[in-house]
Amino acid sequence: MARIVVDPVTRIEGHLRIDVEVNGGTVQKSWASGQMWRGIEVILQGRDPRDAWLFTQRFCGVCTTVHAITSVRAVENALGLEVPMNAQYIRNMILIAHAMHDHIVHFYHLSALDWVDITSALQADPAATSRLAESLSPWPYNSVQSMRATKAKLESIVASGQLGIFANGYWGHPAMKLPPEVNLLAVNHYLQALEYQRKANQIVTILGSKTPNIQNLAVGGVANAINLDNQATLNMTKLYQIKDLLDEVLAFVQQVYIPDILAVGSLYPEWLGYGAGVKNYLAVPDLPLDTAGTQFDLMGGTIMNGDVSTVKPISRFGDEYFRDNVEESIAHSWYDGSDSRHPYDGETVPNYTDFQDDGKYSWVKSPRFAGEPMQVGPLAQILVGYAQGHELTVKWVDTALSELSSRTGVNVGVGHVQSTLGRHAARALRCAIIGDLALKHWGLLIENIGSGDTDIFNPPVFPRGEQRGFGFHEAPRGALSHWVVIENGKIKNYQAVVPTTWNASPRDADGNIGPYEASLLGNPVADSERPLEVIRTIHSFDPCLACAIHTLDVDGNEIAKVRAL
Amino acid sequence: MPAVTVFGLGNILMADDGLGPYVIKVLEAAYVFPPDVEILDAGTPGMELSTILEDSGALIIVDTVRSDGSGGELRTYRRDDVLKHPPAQRITPHDPGLKETLLVLELQGETPPEVFVIGVIPESVDYGVGLTDSVREAVPGAVAEIIAELERLGYPAVPRQPPIDPDIWWERQPGD
Repeated sequence: MARIVVDPVTRIEGHLRIDVEVNGGTVQKSWASGQMWRGIEVILQGRDPRDAWLFTQRFCGVCTTVHAITSVRAVENALGLEVPMNAQYIRNMILIAHAMHDHIVHFYHLSALDWVDITSALQADPAATSRLAESLSPWPYNSVQSMRATKAKLESIVASGQLGIFANGYWGHPAMKLPPEVNLLAVNHYLQALEYQRKANQIVTILGSKTPNIQNLAVGGVANAINLDNQATLNMTKLYQIKDLLDEVLAFVQQVYIPDILAVGSLYPEWLGYGAGVKNYLAVPDLPLDTAGTQFDLMGGTIMNGDVSTVKPISRFGDEYFRDNVEESIAHSWYDGSDSRHPYDGETVPNYTDFQDDGKYSWVKSPRFAGEPMQVGPLAQILVGYAQGHELTVKWVDTALSELSSRTGVNVGVGHVQSTLGRHAARALRCAIIGDLALKHWGLLIENIGSGDTDIFNPPVFPRGEQRGFGFHEAPRGALSHWVVIENGKIKNYQAVVPTTWNASPRDADGNIGPYEASLLGNPVADSERPLEVIRTIHSFDPCLACAIHTLDVDGNEIAKVRAL
Repeated sequence: MPAVTVFGLGNILMADDGLGPYVIKVLEAAYVFPPDVEILDAGTPGMELSTILEDSGALIIVDTVRSDGSGGELRTYRRDDVLKHPPAQRITPHDPGLKETLLVLELQGETPPEVFVIGVIPESVDYGVGLTDSVREAVPGAVAEIIAELERLGYPAVPRQPPIDPDIWWERQPGD
């Protein structure tokens, strides 16, 4: 039995640590550990609830907008405050644009190189690569010249002896199986994707005034003054700029991202069989279509044991089924005690013990839903939507499944999507679904303004006494919720239950392992010095654990540490 | 596209890690900048940094830095210093930091030619709002480095008359 520890020592103090025990080339036992104390919510106690979002969007430098919007939703829920339709549509478009940016970056820039071998791309024939690309998609930028330029760039990097951004990859690993032309195509699209993630982010900047850290929110609405003829406000020019950017990003998703995922999926069919892990799924509804948040364009709910017939809806802001079933266990987390608490009553009193396999071993708490570990993220959202007959979801999922089936010769069904590669595919499909919905909400906003409604804000009123509320958002990494207790107009308690806490949670009081841990069991590991397969499965969740710190390490002690014990 | 972007990196909720945003607020309050110069509190971005970096000529960056020495000591670096060591294995979306983003832009042939980093060694990077004394004392030195670099690049800033109080909103006590 060999033990492998993947412990990235990055500039970010303490992060995600994965321990696995490998026997006979497969993972037998696993632990996921957050290496940094999560108690950032304490900073909010005593503050004005109207300012909370300014602080929460600094929780994480990657997920700024999602924490901002979830925070205002939580305070609005506590006050029973509805927000004007314009504010809902503007928020929805920001959320979608941010998510499209995030999903594109995650696939191409953070995880594609788990599957794509840069060194193999050097053997590719650019003409054959271009022909292959054109057989997969009508995308107009797959020319021979483009592929040749990418290959030349790669050759010059390799010739320089400095692999630059491609240093520290698992090149030549036995689990790398794509033919040279597919590898070159992927590198070409890695470069193209840089443009499109920026375009998506530009939409956030136009609507949010600034990124990172948008400026346009308020408890009760948004601060985007609307006057279609005024240069200083949200006007027709800006709205059409948003539409153009959306069209471009959506075309990239439909004609590049999805075909690429299907190509990788059909060449690594075994990875539709690994990495399922916890098959309980949780998603929250999002993209509200009314001022109170009772109608949505994305569906929420739970599915247990991978059985879509068990689906139970979560259908509105303030939903009791969600509110009454979330709690966090600290039995195996470095906090005082071993109880489970509802987030309204959550505490964060540290009690560090060192890494104990059977005791406490993580700073991450264990959120549970009705006592069960839940997987969250695009896969959960896709399954919950599919189970409830969400039209766009059914369309995209069925198209992808039939495409994968015809290419692999295997009947690929909803079961196969519950896998390492399935999580990547679900993210791409979600990106296409929300892209379609962004266009819809853009149209709804124009229509609403056209009807003469320019309201953007309902002022909040804080009564004496205590109010409790929670807000949720189906974020790029899954269900995010903020829970706030307000007393006499000040924050008394604040807890954020973030998607990666659900997925990276350690064991709970009943010994149930968390989704990361479960997903690694049975994964192959061909070379314990280079546990690429472990990284593949963990990356498929799109982990975002830390509240970021940015300390630059110029001296270069940033190598992810892999120890085979 | 701005000729020079001055940006602060760091997390205002993590004590000294908030140095970058703090210096940006001090700069904005004390100086008036030429129209081609953009001043930005960038927080702790991942790949979003590429949007900022791509859209700029020269870069001046203020950040905390891990280096031998005591809290509050100033270090400066040029482009090649930042790029000379390879980046780490990517685990989370925070990992593509400054170095990685510059390398990605280099791959596209878009790296800004002038990159100047002003780093301050942190004393404490832990949950909490507010800089430690030693790092707070380093702020005037960091500001002076930025002003000198803008001068060198041919985009001098002018002292604001009269100066205004910097808007360090995150340090305001609840109830202020």
